[in-house]
Amino acid sequence: MSSDAPVVIHARHLAKAYPLYKDQGAWVKQALFGRFKTYSRPFWALRDIDLEVRRGDSVGILGRNGCGKSTLLQIVCGMTRPTKGEIWVRGRVAPVLALGATFDQDSTGRQNVLIAGAVMGLKRAEVIAKFDSIAEFAGIGAFMDQQLKHYSTGMRTRLAFAICAHVEADVLIVDEALSVGDAAFQRKCLDWIDSFKKQGTLLFVSHSVDQVRRLCNHTIWIDNGRIREQGEPHRVIRSYVQATRDERDDVRRFSAADV
Amino acid sequence: MIERPEHQTGHSDALLLHVIDGESVIDGNLGPWAVFIRFLRAPFVSAYRHRDLIRVILKRELDERFKGSQAGWVWALTAPLLALLTYTFAFGGSAVLPNKTSAKSAYDYSLFVFGGLIAFNFFAEMAYRAPSLLQEYAHFIKQTLFPAEMLAVISTLRASAYAGIGLALMLAAQLAFTGSLSWTVIFLPLWAISFMAFLVGLTWFLSALGAFTRDVSYLMMTIAPLLLFATPVFFSQEVLPPPMDVLIYGNVLTGFVEIVRDLVFFGRLPGLAVTAWTSFISLAMFWFGYWFFNQNRANIADVL
Repeated sequence: MSSDAPVVIHARHLAKAYPLYKDQGAWVKQALFGRFKTYSRPFWALRDIDLEVRRGDSVGILGRNGCGKSTLLQIVCGMTRPTKGEIWVRGRVAPVLALGATFDQDSTGRQNVLIAGAVMGLKRAEVIAKFDSIAEFAGIGAFMDQQLKHYSTGMRTRLAFAICAHVEADVLIVDEALSVGDAAFQRKCLDWIDSFKKQGTLLFVSHSVDQVRRLCNHTIWIDNGRIREQGEPHRVIRSYVQATRDERDDVRRFSAADV
Repeated sequence: MIERPEHQTGHSDALLLHVIDGESVIDGNLGPWAVFIRFLRAPFVSAYRHRDLIRVILKRELDERFKGSQAGWVWALTAPLLALLTYTFAFGGSAVLPNKTSAKSAYDYSLFVFGGLIAFNFFAEMAYRAPSLLQEYAHFIKQTLFPAEMLAVISTLRASAYAGIGLALMLAAQLAFTGSLSWTVIFLPLWAISFMAFLVGLTWFLSALGAFTRDVSYLMMTIAPLLLFATPVFFSQEVLPPPMDVLIYGNVLTGFVEIVRDLVFFGRLPGLAVTAWTSFISLAMFWFGYWFFNQNRANIADVL
């Protein structure tokens, strides 16, 4: 990691508990009387994460399902609040999370670009100015004026990535998104990420260790809400691959624990 | 779901997110008075910051209502027009108004009812929609940095577009049937703003609660039709025997119905007590709703 660049993401003892409720009634009680009593048991998705990312870093995040990867990214984006610990983030964050899931099915691609741009904090004039460039990057031609429900999954991914590529973010967050596109589009995205890395910061989650190896200069491996190993990609990837081969799929992994 | 200061354009070192133990500390330590002022300003600051988003989502909502229909907005005009015509035929013969004054024309009672219904339908549209509003937009709220608190504003603006059509029709009918409009209609914008503030607050409250349980939705579907008869839409609060003539103001809609009717139909200024009470209800609901939504904001994204 480059040590002289300013810190962009700083996390200390970060922990996140999702409340698990017995039934719907407990939810309502929590909403009405939550200030006086807690009606849920916590599920600790993140237990203790220390992280320091500097400008220009590309951090690959590895881990099995439910280890807390996505929760960590959601906290960095500001979509959800950590329960304990401290986090701060400098600069504009562009989350390419679950690409295409946020699109509105009944609107056209064009309208969705306007909505997504506004959601990401772009001014309307900025979005309109970048429109042609977005359409060209997505490369879906006349489908731009069709309703989203007529899109294939690949087209949706293309459009979503094209929007994110035009946000001019300081921190780009890519979450298992690239697996949907075809090989040519994946290459286009990876090339774009390569050029983005020259000035921006990247957080990259993928189950493809090859992509992590190609894009990242630092890798962290999250296991059960804690950082199990971090450092140089080759070394971390080796122990990660080794561990996934040796460890059995733990059926009790998603059960809630007491504090 | 977390409040963040305005995005800086281009690359910047602005601190956009700083949370310690679940509390946002982005503004440093403020005194209690400053915190209170910031809270009062917060909904307006947020609305201004997200004005482009409000615009694009509102346009989508308005388009969506008549998507796939050929006549489109004609329907928005047809429904209240038909209602007005129906009342005219049904109640046209009434020579005595519900407040015991004699009717000036054969259309008076229908205008009287129509005025009340504009206010009530405005409320009803929000009451039906608010509990499921956040579910409607769950994909936005869960997966993007969507300012969920603006949904109440957007949906109220959408409903006010239809209420506005009804009101315009009422003014036109009043003019056509009686030949003149009272000068008091210039206060209608004030009425509209306070009613909208009330409804935005109500929507914040109902939508936050509705995110946790569907029961809120069923509850509103059950009580809203009954509320129509507990609100002086078809009758006048003036003819109620004491103590009901005062108790009826416990139904917060009474004031709004009475004021719009005073301004347009009777052409007089509403009473001071009613105006004060209704303004209080409107402001109190607005900030209570915002406070309640904010309290549950962190949980909403997790339970949707």
